Amino acid sequence: MFRIDRRLFEHFDMVLMLLIFLICTMAFFNLYSASFPPKGYGMPPYIRQGYFFLMGFAAFVFIVSFDYQELHSWNYPFYVLTILLLLFAFVAGHEAGGAQRWINLGFFKLQPSEPAKLMLVVTLASYYSRKEINDGYAIKDLVMPIVLTGIPFVLILLEPDLGTALMLGIIFVSMTVFVKLRMSTYLIMGSLGIGAILFAWESLLKPYQKQRIATFLNPEQDPMGHGYQVLQSKIAVGSGGRFGKGYMEGTQGHLHFLPERHTDFAFSVWGEEWGFAGSVIFIGIYFLLLLWGLYVAMYAKDRFGVLLAYGVVMLIFWQAVINLFMVMGFLPVVGIPLPLVSYGGSSLLTTMLGLGLLMNVRMRRFPNSMGRGE
Amino acid sequence: MKLKFSLKDVADIAEHDEGALDLLKKRLLAASAVVLFFLIVIVLRLWILQINDGEEYEKRAYGNRVRIRQVAPPRGHILDRNGKEIVTNRPSFNVALIQEDSHDLSNVLKRLAPVLDMGVSELWEKIREASDTPKYVPVMLKEDIDWQTLAYLENHNHEFSGIRTEVQPVRVYHYEDLAANIIGYLGSISKKELESADRDIYTGGDIIGKKGLEKEREEDLRGEKGFSYSEVDARGFEQQLLKAVEPLPGREIRLTLDVDLQQIAESYMMAGEKSGAVVVMEVKTGRLLAAVSEPTIHINDFVGGISVKKWQELLDNPKHPLINKVVQATYPPGSTYKMVAALAGLATGVIDENTVFYCPGHYSFGNRIYRCWRHSGHGPVNLIKALSESCDVYFYQVGQRVGVDRLAEYANKLGLGLKTGVEMEYEKAGLTPTRAWKERYRKAKWQDGETLSVVIGQGFNLVTPLQLCVMTATLANGGKLYRPQLVEQVTDPEGKVVENFSPELVNEITGFDRYFKLIRKGMEGVVQGKHGTARSVAIDGLTIAGKTGTAQVVRLAQYRNLKEEDIPYKYRDHAWFTCYAPAEDPEIAVTVLVEHGLHGGSGAGPIARAVLNQYFSGRLNQTGQKQGATEVPSADE
Repeated sequence: MFRIDRRLFEHFDMVLMLLIFLICTMAFFNLYSASFPPKGYGMPPYIRQGYFFLMGFAAFVFIVSFDYQELHSWNYPFYVLTILLLLFAFVAGHEAGGAQRWINLGFFKLQPSEPAKLMLVVTLASYYSRKEINDGYAIKDLVMPIVLTGIPFVLILLEPDLGTALMLGIIFVSMTVFVKLRMSTYLIMGSLGIGAILFAWESLLKPYQKQRIATFLNPEQDPMGHGYQVLQSKIAVGSGGRFGKGYMEGTQGHLHFLPERHTDFAFSVWGEEWGFAGSVIFIGIYFLLLLWGLYVAMYAKDRFGVLLAYGVVMLIFWQAVINLFMVMGFLPVVGIPLPLVSYGGSSLLTTMLGLGLLMNVRMRRFPNSMGRGE
Repeated sequence: MKLKFSLKDVADIAEHDEGALDLLKKRLLAASAVVLFFLIVIVLRLWILQINDGEEYEKRAYGNRVRIRQVAPPRGHILDRNGKEIVTNRPSFNVALIQEDSHDLSNVLKRLAPVLDMGVSELWEKIREASDTPKYVPVMLKEDIDWQTLAYLENHNHEFSGIRTEVQPVRVYHYEDLAANIIGYLGSISKKELESADRDIYTGGDIIGKKGLEKEREEDLRGEKGFSYSEVDARGFEQQLLKAVEPLPGREIRLTLDVDLQQIAESYMMAGEKSGAVVVMEVKTGRLLAAVSEPTIHINDFVGGISVKKWQELLDNPKHPLINKVVQATYPPGSTYKMVAALAGLATGVIDENTVFYCPGHYSFGNRIYRCWRHSGHGPVNLIKALSESCDVYFYQVGQRVGVDRLAEYANKLGLGLKTGVEMEYEKAGLTPTRAWKERYRKAKWQDGETLSVVIGQGFNLVTPLQLCVMTATLANGGKLYRPQLVEQVTDPEGKVVENFSPELVNEITGFDRYFKLIRKGMEGVVQGKHGTARSVAIDGLTIAGKTGTAQVVRLAQYRNLKEEDIPYKYRDHAWFTCYAPAEDPEIAVTVLVEHGLHGGSGAGPIARAVLNQYFSGRLNQTGQKQGATEVPSADE
């Protein structure tokens, strides 16, 4: 079916692969510590995540196996499928904490909002790469991307999952600003954006979301309530000191002071146990992967490849920044995972698919290396 | 909108727009700069958190996980003089809430209420009561749960976040209510007590001595709290013990009380449902061998806090069980006061052993007639006879000559009108009236006729049973007034004796040996004499010296001609009997007061007799003499 070009293997990016492997290994050991003490029932999170890592690598290999150019034609069917999943999750989804976010697949609960993020990256990359306007996009040219972003945005917002919805907005802005816009478009988009934020605060935000933001502004005011998570996370990271308390020696995490320590707050476990030295090494490798992703984009052979690679990097980058800011007390708790590190199958599979795309772009960086599927 | 592009179109676009691609790649440099910028921000933030403020957060992390918990020390045991355990401890398991550690409190309480067999609102009430204590201080929800409840809570502790069971020693009373008013009871420290307490030692919820010796000897008995430092998780479940400071048990107190004597006295008082007091003291040391106040409180009602209903019943009881009648109740001494009159008369030279007054059964003074209790009169009476037969007329003569102020002076020398200094709270001083006292407090001049009432122990005179016992002992030992004491020995947990009994001489009356001998001879006649007023108390093989007394409660004309049994209980006279034995070489003094007991000899005498019988039982058995108490009503005042 596919004619496999020998050059594909020659251009396989060992640096990218090594960085991914390093991060996944650290994440796995961190998760093992964060899973302690075991709950005594069910499969421990680190084992489940181990399976997800394996599935993630399978997805990675799968994505690498065909030419990313194919996505132009698969893009919209995938888009429609994602929207349908979001709708399904909204109507018949699994409720957690008052939000309908999951579809129970038996062996695993799919969170359709996670692949939706990657779907949006691919869709926008595809759209912007096809519609090239030399003197920059006018506002009317952005109607289609806004609609394409708006549909999943609204569905996810209604779940309600403010954090993920905002992620879609950030992806849209990152990718739209990246391509050439007219000055008038910047101005209109800017003022529309500010208006939307004001409108959202006044009428769309749920009380608990407002509370989170208010608490973030003054966390000490309610240390046992909403400010608790942020405060405990800061204590965990801060108490790690220079060299940390040692692997498996973190008290904040093991004694349950850290809420959601294997999901959104996974990095605070790392910070507590490995200290400043370990944290800088970890963050260094993580950001090296992001910068390497931008380097991949730089050497992509076409506009779609650049936009895809850039979009995937931005997707991981913004989630990482928001998550780390949250863990270190810079942002309110918004429920954004740290890609590859936080426990969660949907996020991990999505991230691995994204990284697969990155590798795909990297391996097919020479103009005539396209695999032809037709 | 075209949904599907052919790959050929894409390739065309790609080749067509080399310039646009270059623009995107330039922008990638800008994107890299943004990524680097955030990398720097994150590393700086890590620096601030982990290096700059690291120590601060480390402290907070430590405080986060360590819970300090108080461990109540076992209170010191209380033993009798022979080492018999009167009060010791047993573990009580209590259920407490730590608000700081509790999540989802309302549901936890809903689950907890049926387990503890309490109402949910009852539990909330307890939490509200403790609203101003810090959140980490346990709120007591239920004390002394049974084993089944304890086992259930321990097995299901994960369902009850913030709830924990604590073990606390509680008192065990081996002889139930024995000496309950003397030993006293425990209770939770009140807000008021806490305000004036040493905050290093006491915290809210502590159990402290509230009454009696438990209160007076709180410092000895309480011991030192222990502490345990344990690592807990955010839900308050203890993970491991980091450090423990064992509590130091309280000191053991060995009392001077003798359980057997105390029991005999109490049982005799209880058998007749009598209200009153019994005091037994060693004549030559001041050791109290028994101190009975009846009716007594039921001490087990106070374990874990007395109910409002039971407390109200105690308050309403006409026999006043809450009052320690040994020192907190005062009565007119009645004829027991005649020893004071005798001493005053002898010491002031008003009478001597040969002085004889004639008793026609009454005595005229002013325009009133003062009666002798024996209306037919005693005839010629000397001091010995006057005491043995309790002749009132003799003492009217003495009183008139001595005067009230000098009577008071000698009463004070014998300890009346002054606190004895015994370790019992709210001790009363009683009253020895003087002219100056009446002018000051009653705003009236002393009437000479009142002296005649005072000299036979009526009128304004008031004494406590303990004072009378001390007086009796002082007469018996020849003028040495010892402070009555309750504590034989205090031992710390290592077995080191920190306090040992030693007699405390308060006052010594010297130069009166002759007078004491005379008075003692008169007192011997009371029991041993042919016409003594307490012949029924006599025990073969033992010489007892004593004095009966009748304290008038009211003097109402309407009751004068009634038979004693027909007088309403509350208007009946109080009965006194005070004595010492053996007369030849006195060892113990026994004083009995029976409220509304009518006559000293019959009302109070048998109890004293029982005590003496018990105390001297070993020695009496050798001569084969031991008798039950028999009442001889005719041998009375």
